Amino acid sequence: MNFAIEVRGLTKTFVSGWLTRRKKEALTDVNLSVPEGVFWGLLGPNGAGKTTLLSIISNLLIPEQGEVRVLGKDLRKNATEICSRINLSSGHANFLWSLNVRENLEYYAMLYGLSGKKRRQRVEDLVDLFELSEFAKVRFDELSTGTKQKLSLAKSLVNDPALLLLDEPTVGLDPDVAHRIREAIQRLHREKGTTILMTTHNMKEAETLCDRIAFIKDGTIKALGKPKELKNELRLGDTIVIVFSGPLHAESLQGLKGIYDALQTSDSSCRILVDDLHERLPQILDFLIGEKVFIHDLRIEESDLEDVFMAFAR
Amino acid sequence: MSLWLLQDELTKTRAFVFKNWIMTKRNVFTLFEILFWPLVAFLSVGFLTEFAALQPEMKAFILVGVISMSAVQVCQLDVAYALLYDVWSKAVKHGFAAPVGIRHLLFGSLIVGIIRGGTVFVLLVAASYLLFGFDFTLPGALPVAIFVLGLFLSAAMVGVFVCILILVFGNRAEVAAWSLVSLMLLLCGVYYPVSVLPAWVRGLAEIIPLTYFLEYFRLFYGFPPIFSHVLAKGYGMVIVYLVIEVFAMKVALQRAKRTGLLLKLSE
Repeated sequence: MNFAIEVRGLTKTFVSGWLTRRKKEALTDVNLSVPEGVFWGLLGPNGAGKTTLLSIISNLLIPEQGEVRVLGKDLRKNATEICSRINLSSGHANFLWSLNVRENLEYYAMLYGLSGKKRRQRVEDLVDLFELSEFAKVRFDELSTGTKQKLSLAKSLVNDPALLLLDEPTVGLDPDVAHRIREAIQRLHREKGTTILMTTHNMKEAETLCDRIAFIKDGTIKALGKPKELKNELRLGDTIVIVFSGPLHAESLQGLKGIYDALQTSDSSCRILVDDLHERLPQILDFLIGEKVFIHDLRIEESDLEDVFMAFAR
Repeated sequence: MSLWLLQDELTKTRAFVFKNWIMTKRNVFTLFEILFWPLVAFLSVGFLTEFAALQPEMKAFILVGVISMSAVQVCQLDVAYALLYDVWSKAVKHGFAAPVGIRHLLFGSLIVGIIRGGTVFVLLVAASYLLFGFDFTLPGALPVAIFVLGLFLSAAMVGVFVCILILVFGNRAEVAAWSLVSLMLLLCGVYYPVSVLPAWVRGLAEIIPLTYFLEYFRLFYGFPPIFSHVLAKGYGMVIVYLVIEVFAMKVALQRAKRTGLLLKLSE
């Protein structure tokens, strides 16, 4: 398997202050392997080290220890070559204030070595792709937050990167613009197979977009895998709430396979925590029918990535 | 170097020309830098020479100084702006995430600096002829070219030094973009010969290339140089300093990546 990112034993400490030096460990012995073509999410609370990790991979920060290989090459030895094949977009984007949308794209396209017709065509394609035509001649400092974010994404594609690093790409955007940005990212991943590493606080976004997730907290990766695997690992499961009449004690359900917990909430209701809803629901219904329990109401509460996030963040 | 590599180098250099040029065009402030302040400084000094009824050679001495300083100031600002525009726009990380080198930044911004500094130079040379009867072209085309090239290399040296300071101390070092040249004004013998400086200050003047370029050019107006081999010293120093500075800027950039300053400049 080819990896777009391989990080081994990465440690980064920030030192601040001139007289009294304060140290803050941002990353501690981080290991991460992102296969090519995968959409990878990096989740964690504020200050967990997500942006630090992304910045190291994009050669904007140098770690104290550890090895970083990007697109199969050692970042330290091949920084310029790697930088020409990756790109970065971040939330709360900032670009040169006096340059308009098209000029900013032209400028960054030139920095990535695109010249002449090829550059002009690329800029036009990106302006069209992100529906920026009507803002093409608007200066950056006059753009709305959403349009700035679209420009940030467009800029991150000027060099048609093999690896795209997205740092909270929809932060601070209204739901409609955020949805369109998400669609554009998804389309890019689907159509071009670009490897994407994205940090986000939006769990729905991560669940919708990401093939794999890594949870980072206090500078270390606590868990990684597919969203469903993470839920199982934490025994978060799904909850079935049943309102019933008849002779049922919730504890009697605990002997069934795949039941994490069963709790009687009142004489006529209980909450059952199961590992996999689709597998366990028929089994529970069979059991209740066998016990001659009459079901008045049944409600499902599926756990999501937010529950996983909360469990890890605690 | 292959044709593709050459084109790549030129395109990346052109990016900095493009950025500085458009930022210059769009900001009224930069118009003041080219027209207002140099003209005000030049005219006030020019009229002072008239009022003081200075001999033509003394007037030449001072006007050469004031014209040179204005050209150096404007040109060095452009080199510093290559980084400062990104700092002010909080876009530093996007520039340094791209596969560009310090050479692209330096040459690209210096081209715009030469255009802007050259404009100021031509403007003031014309004004000095029309208003004060001073002929800057008297030494001939070659000496003028040698002198002006020395000025622009000195400007590049100051501009890169400002960039290094910003990469080490952050945006609080931006004040250096305007104050370093003033320090040179004091030390390099712009309005007076360095011989009038106290001995220990003269030592400082001797390590600044601009001192030698001014000495060289004033030779044509009847002021024998205090120092020997002025051109060799001036060019030798400025080239050595630039090479050291490019290396120092690389080190400063790596340091900024280690300390996280590069990211802080984007926040």
